[in-house]
Amino acid sequence: MNEAIDFKIVEEPKKPLAMNPKKFGMWLFMASIFILFMAFTSAYIVRRAEGNWQLFELPKQFLFSTVVIVLSSVTMQLTYWSVKKELTQRVKPMILITFILGIVFLFLQWLGWEEMVGQSVHLVGNPSGSFLYIITGLHGAHIISAIAFLLIVLHKAFQNKFDSVQIEICTTYWHFLGVLWLYLFVFLTLLR
Amino acid sequence: MATLDVHHQTEIQHHDDHGHDHEHHGNFWTTYIFSEDHKVIAKQFLLTGMAWALIGGVLSVLFRLQLGFPEANLSWLKPILGGWLDSNGKIDPEFYLALVTMHGTIMVFFVLTAGLSGTFSNFLIPLQIGARDMASGFMNMLSYWFFFLSSAVMFVSLFISTGPAAGGWVIYPPLSALPQAIPGSGLGMTMWLVSMALFIVSSLLGSINYITTVINMRTVGMSFSKLPLTIWAFFLTAVIGILSFPVLFSAALLLIFDRSFGTSFYLSDIYIAGEALPNQGGSPILFQHLFWFLGHPEVYIVLLPALGITSEIIATNSRKPIFGYKAMVGSMLFIAILSFVVWAHHMFVTGMNPFLGSVFTLLTLIIAVPSAVKIFNYVTTLWQGNIRFTPAMLFSIGLVSFFLTGGITGIFLGNSAVDIQLHDTYFVVAHFHLVMGSASFFGMMAGVYHWFPKMFGRMMDEKLGYLHFWLTFVGVYLVFFPMHYIGIAGFPRRYYSWTAFETFSGFADLNMLVSVAAIITLAAQFVFLFNFIYNIFRGKHAPANPWNATTLEWTTPRLPGHGNWPGEIPTVYRWPYDYSKPGSKEDFIPQHIPFSETPESNLPSENDQIKLELGGVGTKH
Amino acid sequence: MNWIIWLGAVLVLVILYMIFKIGNLVGLVKGKKDEEFSISWNNINAYLFMAFMVFGLIGFFWYSFAYFSDYDPPVASIHGKITDDLFWLTMWVTVIAFTLIFIVMFWFTFAYRYDKSRKAVFFADNTKLELVWTVVPAIVLALLILKGLSVWSDITSPASKDAVVVEMVGQQFLWMARYPGTKDKELGHHNYKLIDASNEFGLDLTDKNSFDDFKSLELHIPVNKEILMKIRAKDVLHSVFLPHFRVKMDAVPGVQTHFKFTATKTTAEMREELNNPKFNYEMACTEVCGRGHFSMKFPVVVDTEEDYNKWLASQQSWLSQNPEYMKYVPAELKEAAMIKAGIPLDNAVTVQTAAIK
Repeated sequence: MNEAIDFKIVEEPKKPLAMNPKKFGMWLFMASIFILFMAFTSAYIVRRAEGNWQLFELPKQFLFSTVVIVLSSVTMQLTYWSVKKELTQRVKPMILITFILGIVFLFLQWLGWEEMVGQSVHLVGNPSGSFLYIITGLHGAHIISAIAFLLIVLHKAFQNKFDSVQIEICTTYWHFLGVLWLYLFVFLTLLR
Repeated sequence: MATLDVHHQTEIQHHDDHGHDHEHHGNFWTTYIFSEDHKVIAKQFLLTGMAWALIGGVLSVLFRLQLGFPEANLSWLKPILGGWLDSNGKIDPEFYLALVTMHGTIMVFFVLTAGLSGTFSNFLIPLQIGARDMASGFMNMLSYWFFFLSSAVMFVSLFISTGPAAGGWVIYPPLSALPQAIPGSGLGMTMWLVSMALFIVSSLLGSINYITTVINMRTVGMSFSKLPLTIWAFFLTAVIGILSFPVLFSAALLLIFDRSFGTSFYLSDIYIAGEALPNQGGSPILFQHLFWFLGHPEVYIVLLPALGITSEIIATNSRKPIFGYKAMVGSMLFIAILSFVVWAHHMFVTGMNPFLGSVFTLLTLIIAVPSAVKIFNYVTTLWQGNIRFTPAMLFSIGLVSFFLTGGITGIFLGNSAVDIQLHDTYFVVAHFHLVMGSASFFGMMAGVYHWFPKMFGRMMDEKLGYLHFWLTFVGVYLVFFPMHYIGIAGFPRRYYSWTAFETFSGFADLNMLVSVAAIITLAAQFVFLFNFIYNIFRGKHAPANPWNATTLEWTTPRLPGHGNWPGEIPTVYRWPYDYSKPGSKEDFIPQHIPFSETPESNLPSENDQIKLELGGVGTKH
Repeated sequence: MNWIIWLGAVLVLVILYMIFKIGNLVGLVKGKKDEEFSISWNNINAYLFMAFMVFGLIGFFWYSFAYFSDYDPPVASIHGKITDDLFWLTMWVTVIAFTLIFIVMFWFTFAYRYDKSRKAVFFADNTKLELVWTVVPAIVLALLILKGLSVWSDITSPASKDAVVVEMVGQQFLWMARYPGTKDKELGHHNYKLIDASNEFGLDLTDKNSFDDFKSLELHIPVNKEILMKIRAKDVLHSVFLPHFRVKMDAVPGVQTHFKFTATKTTAEMREELNNPKFNYEMACTEVCGRGHFSMKFPVVVDTEEDYNKWLASQQSWLSQNPEYMKYVPAELKEAAMIKAGIPLDNAVTVQTAAIK
């Protein structure tokens, strides 16, 4: 009897901080991406301050892509809510829409690049253009990684597996990339 | 007392259960190669790091031969160096630069970042905070294998015909961007950049894991104020890594674009090899800003884990609590923050804005204050202790000595006006090799000696350890102390030979002394290697807690299996430094012993906590 | 030479093996009571630390006092004197701190070596003590910082208008000096796209200030006059280093950097002072730049004002040495160019025809 009570003293410990480690890891990952883009934008500012900086119009496609990525964030959030409320039949279409919007975003970014080429702003040339290509390109690469993540979630959804933690992490990442784009867009608009 | 007995019984019971759960599945590949167990991954990091340390050390002896014995005929090295020796048996000047570059890169990134932080963060974080493993074993495994890939690329680059990267470990463009300027900037540099990109991925995966584990997976009672200083150090190191490595990535990415796609981020107005390059509008200084934004925090990524390890070992072997635990944590935190705002002290003579120079002088010298606090705290920990000179303890004292000797010259270099003369001379070489290189290396050695029994379940030979320590300790001082003099005389870094200058040509004897000391120091490492490898297989079996230490890893069995504790994870009740507590019979009280079991040694405030301990039991009923 | 090294290495290995073996044998004889903590080895280590401290410090102070002058390059500039003073101030502060901490630390390791009969003192913190050793270094550092910043702002302040201007250009692997010439005292524009085998500076001959610029393979500077050194590089990073003048500044392609200083001793005076008739000032490169980094020597001569002016007068403008480049001079400036460059006007006809051809 006594033994049983004492046994409880060394029960499996409860966690001192109740955040899912994977979720937390994603936040750290996002922090490092954020730093990466901070580095690029700081380099941009430093370089711009030195003069010899070619001015050109920011392609208007970027404005459209901004709208698209905001929309996709909304549908991503709806996905998450659907999972939370266990409205599983709504999950698949919502992920699909988000997925399509993500592709559209990338397509619009591509059109933006074409527009820049039309203004004869190339990757090779004045750093103002090079920076724009690299910053948008790197952001696009991250969007591709998010789309890949989305595909994994979608694949699971088609098997009728709904891992709410995974979907939450995916949602967080998607929102983060959206907000990151908003930051970049505002930054690039203000500091031409 | 009854509680303690029962505790033992339950542990034994569970040992049986878990023995089946954890130890009998998985084949050779999953157990030793693609293992997700943090202890195996730690050993992988350690062995790879040691291999790299050996390579890096041999490279340094090669260029020390050139500097110490400029007239010597090295054709006996032909089998290894081949075409890099000319017909007189002299090292090619470009290969000399490649040696210097590779030595720096290997030591800073592969040995003292991956080998030190990778080994001990992986090994100690779960064991000391009371977790079964890292937050994500899979990511942890990936982290090692990215490091391995990165190592492989860098290793191969040593053998390509144009030679490895040769523009200095800081790879300043335009030198690193133009193969016309130096052959090492061709394929060798490309491989350097690829290797470093992989390394950054590895480092980020590792750091994310360390932070997540420390924050989320501590055992019951392991509040932040009860964390061993090692964990604090690893935690802050990982935070610095996450915040700084992406910046190196950005710098490297822009360099890759400049090299391979013709952009002009860092290149401008260059006329080389008879032609004017089209690049205009770039700034080489921009690279330096980006690089040192990582580069300076990197110094602390290298150093903090060593300081953490030392804190632990000095306290344990002085049989005293570390003096000023809070000040130690505070100073590490302060150093970590400041490390991000001092980078431009590497750039005082690049022609940057003088006002910026002033700001960075101020910020840089502020770092001396928390560093001084750390030294004073170490010294005070020794005071009135009862010191056991285990090899780990010797290396820890050696570390403090280097940290002092090398740190104090930072006060010269951080002061922009004094830096003008000393910048890029051997004074700088002496400074950072002592304060960052040797200190961190000694931290790593101390860690290996101290945790070897937990890693391999056997003891290392102490006497060989003493021999290793004394040869290395005196050797390192003989290598780097004379460099201060040479540096004050103005002798610049990365010089193949000094005979072209009257001003610098007078130090042949001192350079020879340095080279001989370097060779002896390298030779001494073979004592260690022998001791290490021999005792993995033949060493005496280690007791579970050979040093009578207080932290949780010593509560695991001799060879902890996957999951670390066969029974339940112990609960933590006290801070990790209850050594020689007045009233206590033993001179240490481990962290998992509740205050209710030690009424004879409790402080008044701790007696109050007994109620909480009992209360905790009450709620669980 | 080589066999000595090999022999040494083999010898060290043999000795190590012997030590190890003997250690094991002795252990066997003693009955291998390894569990017990070896107090004698503990004492040996403690004494070794003591010995290290004593001999280390003696060696350090003895060598420094006996030989330091070998390592202290004589100083020959105004600001160099000041930064040297700051260097020595820092040296005294740090050496005192270093010696004290070094002694205390090793004394503690020795004095508090393991003793069975003693128990360590449980001494976990002391706010007062910690406050003291945070504040004291902070104050000392603050003084050094203040001194350093004022020196730094003097060194980096703009040069006066009548400073002698010289341009140093770094390339793989040599330095070149360009003087603004005697007529206009202004450096002409340059453009890296104009660089060719003869026009090493990339002189822009549409700028009239470039006509009288001349190249020198020796740096001549007048004593006691402020020099403004403008610095650039053609290919990769280099760094101007004048050890005796405590001058160092990077040469960056695409960016012009500069450093101002005043030399205080002519070459002749320095030779006398050092009692070394062969003494020469030198310039070196301190930023790794490739194969020949270690050989980028540039001779430096400090003249009296008279000698300097004499030397200046003896120099020929670059344009007069390369008259074929007259064709790049715009027609309306040709005459001015010839006057400024010092090309005799009776040569003009030949030059003109050369240009037409």
